[in-house]
Amino acid sequence: MSTSSAYKMKQFDTKKAVFTIFTGLCKGCGLCIQKCPVNTLVWSDDLGVYGTPAVQPKDTDTCTGCGMCSVVCPDCAIVIERKK
Amino acid sequence: MSKVPNMPKSWRVETKPHKFCPGCGHGLVLKALGEAIDELNIQDRIVFGCDIGCSLLSWDFFNVDTVQTHHGRTTPVMTGIKRARPDRICIAYMGDGGGYAIGSQHLVNAASRNEKITLILANNCNYGMTGGQMAPTTLPGMKTETSPYGRDIEDTGYPTQGPEMVAAITQHKAYVARGTVANVRQLKNYIKKALQNQMDNNGFSFVEALAGCPTNWSTNAKDTWAFIEEEMPKYFKVGEIKTPAQKEENTNG
Repeated sequence: MSTSSAYKMKQFDTKKAVFTIFTGLCKGCGLCIQKCPVNTLVWSDDLGVYGTPAVQPKDTDTCTGCGMCSVVCPDCAIVIERKK
Repeated sequence: MSKVPNMPKSWRVETKPHKFCPGCGHGLVLKALGEAIDELNIQDRIVFGCDIGCSLLSWDFFNVDTVQTHHGRTTPVMTGIKRARPDRICIAYMGDGGGYAIGSQHLVNAASRNEKITLILANNCNYGMTGGQMAPTTLPGMKTETSPYGRDIEDTGYPTQGPEMVAAITQHKAYVARGTVANVRQLKNYIKKALQNQMDNNGFSFVEALAGCPTNWSTNAKDTWAFIEEEMPKYFKVGEIKTPAQKEENTNG
């Protein structure tokens, strides 16, 4: 079995936060897309662990770094790091 | 730049991604439980018992001592462990089938004896593992595999309201609450208070969590949230139903 750092991941550098999606954990349930208060999350071309689309922010401006997506993710596949 | 997922420390990382379906409420309930265990710093004292049903897929979820029991018998197993080793913190984890259908006798008796264990129950309105049959918690009019025209309360009666029942039969010093995965922070606080209630040696603590089952509800993410946030709280009221601070005037009427 793999260790934590071996999960496939992808990072998006947005204006207010660094958005990290671990595609090795994302099952593509879409709960985060619905819960995002600014509707910045869209389906990605990258595939998750079950071969379903993962998620990504649609541009670099809209994400406010609130972290709601990482709170509602049942698989802890999203990490948000706010910039100052 | 973070390279590690932000999982609770008590999670067993090598078993992730976990075995639950995409969007399953169990993941969120167990995330709240893991965060509560981390914040109370009690990982080395936990005994975690899981039931038959989808909840058994949590058998390798945590880095704690785990036992998996017969259907509905998690409550008496945890009661026995607590009586043999009172220094352990025993968590019985089950779904609504294990708690309100086949295991309701154990839930009722453990609650009325005021056993010092914590019971966490995920309520998703159907039997998830066997394919979405009607459960005691299926809402009136809700369509499942065995109620294809919607649950008819004339034929099958009303859904079980577990926390209300437990609050009615427990003594004071019990803790009873109902959370929802739509509000994970609130759910985490309820679970934390329930564990704290056991650590204070007060009595029975019970938390029901309203959880989603997108696979068997056949809903997309939008409809899943709509059902959890709008339909379920109409019948299952979210909040603290009984806290140890409430004195005996409530139990004595």
